[in-house]
Amino acid sequence: MANIEINQNQQPTSTSRSKLTWLWSEYSVVVAFVLIFIVAALMNDRFLYLQNQMNILMQVSTIGIIALGMTVVMLSGGIDLSVGSVLAMVGVFSVLSLNATGSIVVGILTALAVGAFAGFINGMLVAKGKIASFIATLGMMAGARSIALYTADGGSIAGDVQGFSSIANTELGIVDLPIIIFIGLTVAIYLLMTKTRFGRYVYALGSNEKAALLSAIRVDRIKVGVYSLCGLLVGVAALIETSRLNSISSSSSGNLYELDAIAAVIIGGTRMTGGKGKVIGTFFGVLLLGVLNNMMNLLNISPHLQGLVKGLIIIVAVFFQKRD
Amino acid sequence: MGRDSLLEMSGITKSFNQVEVLHGVDLTLNKGEIHALLGENGAGKSTLMNILGGVHQPNRGHIKIEGKEIKMESPRISQEQGISFIHQELNVVTDLTVYENMFLGSELRTKWGTLDVKEMCRQTEDIMLRLGVEISPKTYVRDLETSYKQMIEIAKSLLRRSNIIIMDEPTTSLTDNEVERLFGLMRSLKQSGVSIIYISHKLKEIKEVCDRYTVLRDGHFVGNGSMQEVDLEEITQLMVGKAVSTDAFYHEQTKGDPVLTVKHLTSEGNFHNINFTVSKGEVVGFTGLAGDGRTELFESIYGFRKKYSGDIEVNGHPVKIDHPKKGLQAGIGLVPKNRKENAIIKDLSVIENMSLSSMGNFERRGWIHSKTEREKFQHYKQQLNIKVHDPNRTIDSLSGGNQQKVVIAKWLEVNSDILIFDNPTQGIDVGAKNEIYQHIMNLADQGKAIIILSSEAPEVLRVCDRINIMFQGEITGRFHRDELTEEKIMEYATGSKREAENIG
Ligand SMILES: Nc1ncnc2c1ncn2[C@@H]1O[C@H](COP(=O)(O)OP(=O)(O)OP(=O)(O)O)[C@@H](O)[C@H]1O
Ligand SMILES: [Mg+2]
Repeated sequence: MANIEINQNQQPTSTSRSKLTWLWSEYSVVVAFVLIFIVAALMNDRFLYLQNQMNILMQVSTIGIIALGMTVVMLSGGIDLSVGSVLAMVGVFSVLSLNATGSIVVGILTALAVGAFAGFINGMLVAKGKIASFIATLGMMAGARSIALYTADGGSIAGDVQGFSSIANTELGIVDLPIIIFIGLTVAIYLLMTKTRFGRYVYALGSNEKAALLSAIRVDRIKVGVYSLCGLLVGVAALIETSRLNSISSSSSGNLYELDAIAAVIIGGTRMTGGKGKVIGTFFGVLLLGVLNNMMNLLNISPHLQGLVKGLIIIVAVFFQKRD
Repeated sequence: MGRDSLLEMSGITKSFNQVEVLHGVDLTLNKGEIHALLGENGAGKSTLMNILGGVHQPNRGHIKIEGKEIKMESPRISQEQGISFIHQELNVVTDLTVYENMFLGSELRTKWGTLDVKEMCRQTEDIMLRLGVEISPKTYVRDLETSYKQMIEIAKSLLRRSNIIIMDEPTTSLTDNEVERLFGLMRSLKQSGVSIIYISHKLKEIKEVCDRYTVLRDGHFVGNGSMQEVDLEEITQLMVGKAVSTDAFYHEQTKGDPVLTVKHLTSEGNFHNINFTVSKGEVVGFTGLAGDGRTELFESIYGFRKKYSGDIEVNGHPVKIDHPKKGLQAGIGLVPKNRKENAIIKDLSVIENMSLSSMGNFERRGWIHSKTEREKFQHYKQQLNIKVHDPNRTIDSLSGGNQQKVVIAKWLEVNSDILIFDNPTQGIDVGAKNEIYQHIMNLADQGKAIIILSSEAPEVLRVCDRINIMFQGEITGRFHRDELTEEKIMEYATGSKREAENIG
């Protein structure tokens, strides 16, 4: 609160200006996204090609779905470092069950179940075990990766069932299925967080856990739900990732995804300690990172330098956001 | 305006989000006086003090200290001017110890540069003793009861060498006894030339300790003067703009069947062998000094605390409650004390805070129906006279008393059969207090069982049918309202008298 008031010291502010201030304070990520978008369009004319735009969306869909789950976790005041490893583990198990049964449905169900179960374990550790989420999910991060490596003998496994790879490679009109899944899930999580009791409780829990508990909210169940939901979304992301190349690598798939997801959430304006933030913010945070990657590729920036540019942009974006 | 005026605030104007809440307010403070700052909930007292404390910046107006104009650009600058500030809401850091809280940001060091823990503990002990509190400086604040936290806030401001101390409702959870000690300290500070700005809705205190007063109404300055020349009625009239009846509206209830029976409830270190019964339509009070264990007792009954032994029966059936949700399902609601820590979700809007414990009332097929929420809030806004510009903003944009009203509305909406109010009128003004009491009486008329925990003797005497007095975790006296006086409550609350426990 205290920060914006300083702007109001001057003479009566015009309403249009105050609207702008409001837009900036609530949706600075959208503004930042538009800016970067314009810069990208000016720097390279191939950027605006429809095919390129679809590429961007396709590339961010996996991270985007994970970031949605991460948003919910972070709104509740926690963090989930295990998403990348769990993605690899889910991929390995789903391909194994797919190959064993020859059924795509079983493969999909396995992926969702394994993802949700890993999240459930995270949630139990945090809620019932009273372990800090950072530590609990760090443990899961190491554990899940190790299970994936052990099961797949450290290598990749490929699906040998016809049709599995069409999950990520089907196009409806000009739009790939993963993009539709990502946008559909964004809408779903948005509705969940703004229009249902679960969402309300997550915000309350992240803002003041003691008061939430005294308001007769089953805080521990909400926590378990939050991590399970995140795990489930990781399951969906793993399906897309696996199906894209029809294989999963137990050692490299999902590496550092947790960082990209957390970056997107933070750029999207969600507060590190929980209670405040928006799903829409995360959506634009994800797009922003995607556009940035794309722009650097189009400009032929060395892949070794891209990390630095990305890091700088993240820090600058967060620096200009309203903090409290 | 006298020669020896220490502080002059003039023409202070302040807007939040284009809504002006202070319209050119003046305040003068003389050296060595205790100055009451009065006004209804939302009148602008805390905002004015936040401006003096450098927390908010005024849109217009001047602040002069000893004739020199000062721009209070930050709390730091204000502190450097010798102003210390006890905020309306408690700001203790619960994960630190008592002495660490006391010296937060101004730690004492030895000549080696290390923390001088010994000296800090000694000073803490010293000041606490003068306030009449016996707690070890090395206790963690999270283990302490609200009234102790409040005393830590007070003690902290007394430690600093300051010329001006702002006290924004410092006594909301203190008992008369503890307040007396504080007043003693305030008087001796006054003797040594310190000036105090004192905000409180307890007019009795104001009359007792203050020398002069300034009254605000809806952000306007409406009057000031010397305390000796007015009586409380005149001041209330100034504050409210009309006379407030303090008539007794208590009436005997028709008592129904027992709904809550508690037997041999014991929790190590908190309370011991508690037995009582509350019936339908009854209003039962619990009072006592800091550390009497009443809050812990009812937090246990509500299911917030789990470590206790003994039996609880609701409507004659034994219940095992180990989570507030189960308490609610058994028909027990608890309005907690210390709203900032226990009740307010500061990132949720005013409306969302109101509906949080009764989401079921606002759902259609699993979706939140915000129109119902809005309408329900309008209902409570009128009923409880909640002053709010935009209920979709976060709740911390409300004045303290209005936040409290929202907390009460939240539990009225839950509508449980047994309703426990812990210090329900924290920071609520004289007029609104009556409205809240009236609501409580109405609930009892509807057949609800009401329990009121309060450190204010007059409060329990006004609304309760029966009153239990606690001392160090035990019930030392049980009385019907007709048998009691404030003095008698004090005797039992301090443990100088006790009735033999006749059960068991
Ligand atoms: N941060 C804020 N943002 C928006 N409005 C605010 C903010 N702080 C206070 N207000 C508004 O300013 C007005 C004065 O509030 P203030 O807290 O000064 O009242 P008060 O006199 O201290 O009342 P109380 O006795 O209830 O504590 C209220 O109408 C309140 O809604
Ligand atoms: Mg106030």
